[in-house]
Amino acid sequence: MKDFARRMIGIDRRIIFLLIAAAVLLPLLRPFGLPIKISPEVRAVYDYIEALPERSVFLLSFDFDPSSKPELEPQAVALLRHAFRKNLRVIGMTHWLTGTGLADDIFSRVAAEMGRERGKDYVFLGWSPGAGSLVIAMGQDLYKAFPSDYQKTPTQGMPVLEGVKSLRDVNYMVSLAAGNPGIEMWYVFGKDKYRFEMAGGSTGVIAPGLYPFLRSGQINGLIGGLQGAAEYETLIKRKGTATAGMDAQSATHFVIIVLVFLCNVFYFVLRGEEGKSN
Amino acid sequence: MIFLKRQLPLAVTFVMGVAFAIQYYIPHPVSEEAITNVSKWMQIISGFALALGLASIFHVHAVKIKRQVPGWGYSIVLYAAMLATIIVGFWSKGETRVNGAQTALGWLYDYSMVPLQGTMFSILAFFIASAAYRAFRARSREASVLLVAAVLVMMGRVPLGQFLLPWTWDVTQWLLNVVNSAVRRAILIGVSMGQVALSLKIILGIERAYLGGGRDQ
Amino acid sequence: MAEGAAAPFKKVAEFPSNTRYVKPGDFPWWAQPAAKGDHYVKLVSSQAFPIENGKPYFVKLRVREGVQEVWSEVAEATAAPNIFNTAQANNLVFVVAFTGVLLASIAAARRNPHVHLRRIAGLDAVEEAIGRSTEMGRPILYLTGSGGMDEVSTIAATVILGEVAKKVAHYDTSLKVPHRDPIVMAVCQEIVKESYVAAGRPDAYKDDSNFFITSDQFSYTAAVDGIMLREKPAANFFMGSYFAESLLLTETGASTGAIQIAGTDSDHQLPFFVTTCDYTLIGEELYAASAYLSREPVLVGTLRGQDIGKALIMGALILGTCLATLGVLLGTDGFSYLLDLFKDFK
Repeated sequence: MKDFARRMIGIDRRIIFLLIAAAVLLPLLRPFGLPIKISPEVRAVYDYIEALPERSVFLLSFDFDPSSKPELEPQAVALLRHAFRKNLRVIGMTHWLTGTGLADDIFSRVAAEMGRERGKDYVFLGWSPGAGSLVIAMGQDLYKAFPSDYQKTPTQGMPVLEGVKSLRDVNYMVSLAAGNPGIEMWYVFGKDKYRFEMAGGSTGVIAPGLYPFLRSGQINGLIGGLQGAAEYETLIKRKGTATAGMDAQSATHFVIIVLVFLCNVFYFVLRGEEGKSN
Repeated sequence: MIFLKRQLPLAVTFVMGVAFAIQYYIPHPVSEEAITNVSKWMQIISGFALALGLASIFHVHAVKIKRQVPGWGYSIVLYAAMLATIIVGFWSKGETRVNGAQTALGWLYDYSMVPLQGTMFSILAFFIASAAYRAFRARSREASVLLVAAVLVMMGRVPLGQFLLPWTWDVTQWLLNVVNSAVRRAILIGVSMGQVALSLKIILGIERAYLGGGRDQ
Repeated sequence: MAEGAAAPFKKVAEFPSNTRYVKPGDFPWWAQPAAKGDHYVKLVSSQAFPIENGKPYFVKLRVREGVQEVWSEVAEATAAPNIFNTAQANNLVFVVAFTGVLLASIAAARRNPHVHLRRIAGLDAVEEAIGRSTEMGRPILYLTGSGGMDEVSTIAATVILGEVAKKVAHYDTSLKVPHRDPIVMAVCQEIVKESYVAAGRPDAYKDDSNFFITSDQFSYTAAVDGIMLREKPAANFFMGSYFAESLLLTETGASTGAIQIAGTDSDHQLPFFVTTCDYTLIGEELYAASAYLSREPVLVGTLRGQDIGKALIMGALILGTCLATLGVLLGTDGFSYLLDLFKDFK
């Protein structure tokens, strides 16, 4: 028993990897579709957008790159669908150079699906260097920070930006972030200086670290990981890739829980045997 | 030389540090203009810094190829990939899409960059499992608390857990909003005090090791 | 409101007479725009009514009750920018006071350099890690995190690198520092070079020990994981700020059997570092590292100053919680004068 326990504790991690792969793949092939509960932090984002008057200005910052696509793309798609359905004017941008193409693709796809027009209903500004410095520049003059959008169209005079001079004219802002520059940077250099309301969306890995900002009101809502995206999809009543992925996430969590349980059983067996031999 | 490498950077740090600490309290347009201008300088400097990085990559891999160290072939792959991306980038005029049609750069982005980066991130799921298996053991009372909290949050954050044990949802919300926030706030306060102290040390020239050569006061 | 006394007036606000009072909590007591109980309306420059500096504006008030209404006299005011945001005066006072505490602590440490520092196991293990690398003839891998030189954690990581490099030079071990930021790389090159000179081994310094990989998060991670698997460093240092890449780096390092020391202020990544590394410096321990490793009185003094600052914050937290609770229980806003001192007003 002792030898078995020792062998199991030092199990080849590739076996664990295989179990995880199976836990991800099987539910994707045979989904079991359980209901999704809505957390107050996700509902807060939904409610805020829901309460915005038509043609309000909504800024969505895609602060991620393709590596976080599975978690953050469903959040972006759900938010854009909601914003376009509410007939908001949407400004998009990114602080992550390698995320520019992905962000533009998401924007164009959802806008086409919702029948929205570039330049009139939305604009994608693209990427510009500087992160915090860029946000400060946008807070002073949006047109100097981004003289043209991602399509090289001059931003000055664009119908979607009518009445928008700087970040002060933004009604709501959400940063979908996989790291830095992201939510904290937007709060420090953006909301704190230019006084707009903002929320965050993040990968599951960094979401728990953002709860203090949520509790203190520095962000008014938080969409955390795939679970948060699935909750938002449920709220807007349009199921997407996040809802589909939740079964796989459920199964993976359970495999990890079982592994942790087994590891502890073997650990106590070993400790018990060692205690006896002493 | 010592003036350029030590006194001048310290003087610049002091002047700019004090000026922009005070700037925070001044809502005057002149002060706002100043921070905008400095932000632009920083953007320009970060652009130039890229050249430093490129020079480093070229140097390191050139040395590897020259000395034919084990795996030097990969350095050639790196040069080839860089060159190919630059050529394709120029050819596509830096655009990933033109009038909705995918360019060559767009193809490179969608079919190499996106899946490669996705692969790297997805490895996280496997590593989390192997790290949890190795580390989550009830070795002590504190480790047991960590173990129980982790299992509860893992249950409460997914529909299957919420379905099997509905109360884990409320416990998870409480753990994240109360316990987690309280602990992180405590760490944040400590970190912030440390940041303020280190910033003051740098502005006042007390900490100068980041300039190289330790402290010589 | 109008741009001239004779110009047409535009309605900028309308509200019931029992709302929009100047009340505690909206403004600090030392910067209230009007007396308690007065009404106020905050006007923000907008496309509909732009407010420009140096331009006079005219305001008049209409009070209405049922069908009766009364107009006030026209008041004139010229828009002018403020030189100082008085609402943030408390913030400035605290910064100045903390600077004073810090300088006093440094002066005290200079007079009496024997300040006790609690042991930080992670920093005690630095020597052991370098010694192990030397014995095994394998390199030491040192990462400075994902931030640029504008992040305090990166600065702290570069400062610790200086101390580590001195020991590495002394033991004649090989050091590898892959970077995500070219400016951090340039700074680290200088620091490592100077450390080798300080250790009396300028001949052993190699310029390519610091090298740039890419600024992209996961490309960098893949490259560093590759270095770990190919060169099998005996010791891995992860200092600075990290995001999702932390576990990918440390788990790969753990699989190669390296001794791993992490130090980060990225609190969201602490669980990963704690489970996969041998030692983890948590939060401010990272900033304290340079003082701990060098034992210089000036740096150690600042730690004492930091502790005093933290004690004051803890005191303010306890006092504030008690007074706010008491205020609610007694139904009074009398404590708001004291509580305002610790609030963040914009």
